[in-house]
Amino acid sequence: MSENRLLKLAGGKQTGRAYMRRPTSDSLYVVIVLAPIVLMIALFIYYPALDTFGQSLTNRNLRIRRPPKPVGAENYLKLLNDDEFWEVTGRSFQVVIMTLPLEMVVAFSIAMLLNQRFPGRGVVRTLTILPWMLPGVVNGFLWGWLLNGEYGALNGLLYQFGLISEYQVWLRAPEHQIFWVTVVQTWTRYAFPTIILLAGLQSIPDDLFDAAKVDGANALSRVRFITFPLLLPSFGIALVVEFIAAFQIFDVVWTLTAGSSAGGSINPFTKTLMLYNYELVFRDLRVGLGAALSYLILLMSLAVGMIFVLRVYNQGVQEA
Amino acid sequence: MKLGLRGQERLRLLFIYTLCAVVLVWALAPIYWVFVSSISTRKELYARPYKIWFPSQPTFESYQTIFTQGAKFRAGGFSPTADLMGAGLRNSIIISVGAAGIVTLLATGAGYAFARMRFRGRNLIFLLIMFMLPLPIWVSLIALFFLMSQLGLIDTLLGLILIFVTLLLPLAVWMMTTFVRDIPAEIQDAARVDGANRWRLLYSIILPLARPGMVAVFLVAMLSTWNNFLIPLIFTRTNDSQPLTIVLTLFIGQYEVAWEDMSAAAVVTMLPPFLMALFFQRYLVRGLTMGAVK
Repeated sequence: MSENRLLKLAGGKQTGRAYMRRPTSDSLYVVIVLAPIVLMIALFIYYPALDTFGQSLTNRNLRIRRPPKPVGAENYLKLLNDDEFWEVTGRSFQVVIMTLPLEMVVAFSIAMLLNQRFPGRGVVRTLTILPWMLPGVVNGFLWGWLLNGEYGALNGLLYQFGLISEYQVWLRAPEHQIFWVTVVQTWTRYAFPTIILLAGLQSIPDDLFDAAKVDGANALSRVRFITFPLLLPSFGIALVVEFIAAFQIFDVVWTLTAGSSAGGSINPFTKTLMLYNYELVFRDLRVGLGAALSYLILLMSLAVGMIFVLRVYNQGVQEA
Repeated sequence: MKLGLRGQERLRLLFIYTLCAVVLVWALAPIYWVFVSSISTRKELYARPYKIWFPSQPTFESYQTIFTQGAKFRAGGFSPTADLMGAGLRNSIIISVGAAGIVTLLATGAGYAFARMRFRGRNLIFLLIMFMLPLPIWVSLIALFFLMSQLGLIDTLLGLILIFVTLLLPLAVWMMTTFVRDIPAEIQDAARVDGANRWRLLYSIILPLARPGMVAVFLVAMLSTWNNFLIPLIFTRTNDSQPLTIVLTLFIGQYEVAWEDMSAAAVVTMLPPFLMALFFQRYLVRGLTMGAVK
């Protein structure tokens, strides 16, 4: 039984027998091909992941010359009782909460547009997806320059149209910095949910809309009662992936508002979890504490990811 | 007033193209502006109020400057970054092409094994490789830094390539497994009856048929490596191995550095991904969404 399943997985339509008598060259092939992969993943991913966990239970600090001692869960408790940790965590969630709705609205609108038939759609689609494929650090830089208070194009544009009487320093106030971080994160990432939603839209059969039209449903209620429910799974996928991307935001912040070159200090107003973690380990050299934080970030990502999936899944089941 | 069918269609298209224009401005304006900045003269770029939306005398001087002298300070003089751009470009190319090439080779062999062969531990190994795909690799990176120091691989191109290959493997193996699975099994059966062994099958049957898949894997791997910032931020120190993403941030760090020079550096950094996104988007979208959705 399970062998048949395996065969199906393997994609072969042959009977099991042909595969049972496998020549010895097969095992040699498998070993040669898979050994380097397994070795690399074990050595560079799994072993360090365990090692990081081990270090999170020590007081290792490279600034202090002493052999690290095991301290149990002390690092975790220290973080959970630390105001900065909660402040930074809150900020990461703030970025998520501001980014996701903005991103979904942008992505849904563009997906609806690209779902229409019109000449040149392919070109528009290609150009629309571009920002997603550019390096995050470049995106942060692009927007930082666009928003520049002295010579930025946004100032120039708004001034030219008489919308502002004086050049603004857009990135001065801390709450504005966070706002622009979410805008740039949205600009960097909206293409992915757009693609997912567009694929979802295209899988909805036209008959459904035609039937609704015959029944006298207007455009708005067609979107509300047909498009949205059927797109829920796509929204679910997009939300989970974008949650993880926004929660672990790093590159964009680095060049937009972190204001840091090598050695400089990290701007506290846009310090999110990943930047905080980088600072702890690679600037402050508090390896034990940083390792503990990395595991807390992992746990939070997984937990929220799971909640999202279950929520969306349940909702989908209920509505269906 | 009643519109004929053609009139209605025209109105619809007008509406759609207006919306398209809005979307394209949103998507492309920042890119356009940084390109304009990089070919502007300083006088025009620093005009206040700024109202030149295309330079009257486009110049490639900034590009020349960043490669020959390093970025210049706004007050005059040059930051000591003369070699950074050239070295960064070289490093970026070596790392991304190297990692993409190796990962494509390894993944093709493995994809064939997973898609077409039965062996003990097959599912377990596949699971072990895939398990890390959705996981944030950040927890591994901290201890990996110390491991790489012990191996003497910090600030080396080899070290970076090894790390990138490892990080890209799950997605690449998974992509190649699905690609090989889609090749009709009958074709290789025929060859097998003729007495061809696995290596021969891989080389003469699978490779030619899986070429589109390999191209997709190569492109996705190259793009991800080129764009990455966190890995080189942790694992590089000097321009022996710093890629362009790092070099760009080194420029930005100096507040006084001229914007037209930084813009030129940004354009150079994003040019390869930009061109890949224009010409190979089909491949890239397929690979990148596969990786995210799984």
